[in-house]
Amino acid sequence: MEKRVVLPGEKIADGRAKIPHTFFDGEATYAEVIGTLDEEGRYIALESAYRPSVGDTIIGIVTNIRRAGYLVDLNLPQEGLIVGRDVKVKLQRGDIVMCRVKMVTEVGDTELGEVRRLPRGKVVDFPPSKTPRLIGRKSSMLNLLREHAEGDVMVGNNGYVWISEKSNIPLVLKAISLVKQKAHRSGLTDEMAEMLKKETQG
Amino acid sequence: MAKEKVQLIVDGKRIDGRTPEETRSIRIEAGILNEADGSAYIEWGGNKIICGVYGPRECIPRHEASPYRSIVKCRYMMSPFASLEEHGRSGPSRRSTELSKVIRETFENLIISERFPNTQIDIFIDVLQASGGTRTASVTAAAVALVNAGIPMKDVVSSVAVGKAGDELIVDLNKEEDNQGQSDVPIAMSHQDRKILLLQMDGLLTRDEIAKMVEMAEKTCDNIYDMQSAALKKIYEKGEDENIEW
Repeated sequence: MEKRVVLPGEKIADGRAKIPHTFFDGEATYAEVIGTLDEEGRYIALESAYRPSVGDTIIGIVTNIRRAGYLVDLNLPQEGLIVGRDVKVKLQRGDIVMCRVKMVTEVGDTELGEVRRLPRGKVVDFPPSKTPRLIGRKSSMLNLLREHAEGDVMVGNNGYVWISEKSNIPLVLKAISLVKQKAHRSGLTDEMAEMLKKETQG
Repeated sequence: MAKEKVQLIVDGKRIDGRTPEETRSIRIEAGILNEADGSAYIEWGGNKIICGVYGPRECIPRHEASPYRSIVKCRYMMSPFASLEEHGRSGPSRRSTELSKVIRETFENLIISERFPNTQIDIFIDVLQASGGTRTASVTAAAVALVNAGIPMKDVVSSVAVGKAGDELIVDLNKEEDNQGQSDVPIAMSHQDRKILLLQMDGLLTRDEIAKMVEMAEKTCDNIYDMQSAALKKIYEKGEDENIEW
């Protein structure tokens, strides 16, 4: 399928179209970040800053403990809040948690729920706009990674990636960097499979 | 200035051999810094400018944050080895404060800042080498860096200086034409809706001359936009065999 790179301000559709990362000026819908536009008029952002929305699964690091609950670093301008009475386990500073966004206010304050503490591991930063490629269709990419790294890997929508300390961390980092640089290409899972095979054997 | 007058235009050619409507050679590269969210490098004639963009990120100091929008901050700075005799010292100065302000205001009109309340967007511009027209080159580079950072914008801006030297209207003034010419008008124009986002004027001009200059700038900005666009698209069109940096 023929894809074309569009820059901010280029027209995406006539009339008001509800597409993420676009704006509407009264007559037509325009791109607001760099993205690709295919022949069917589908626009996908290539680079964008993450804005949390309700229901997203995100990974965070507990940075502070308050009477009301826990403050969590989410790779966002503001820290998120886990309300203390919502979690049964006691969290400590530095704990890595995986949770779901429960509420976002219009000034960007996020409240988190469904908290799960992750075991010890490494958290790395990944461009949030490219996380769908790191997960793959029906988690194909992620499962491939877990299989070869012999350990668990989790990806949050906010761009934090958690790698279990039991897995082959250097290999996962290499794989992440491959996705980061080739996120806009097709056939990435096959390329990744080949790379992982070569790395684990050689 | 008590200097001897230099003949800036001889037989329709300028001192560096260009025709009045010709720009210097321009090379733009996007995404050159690993640590910045977006970056660009521009070589425009003798100018060498590097630009990095961060954000949206936490607003520091806190009292400057707005719950309605993200605020834009810009820092234009000349390096100690840029070309000090003509432009004064490096570091904070009247000149760099002015340029930071006009560049910031150019982008405040483009960035859709309502998307990220309570945050700030930082634009850092470092001039490594200067030879006239750094503010227009900086705006051009910063526009590329902002797109590369994925910051929501209404449009992409391109910029060029037009002016008058030897009683002729010229595009893209170099250092000599800037210092000894009759007039210097840097213009920044958005590509899609053709809005003038920056216009400063040095020297005297008639209304007709200004109108003609804006027209010349518009034509040149279109060419510069093509270069900006090519630089941004190049990141996504690399060949199959390129080396991956770990």
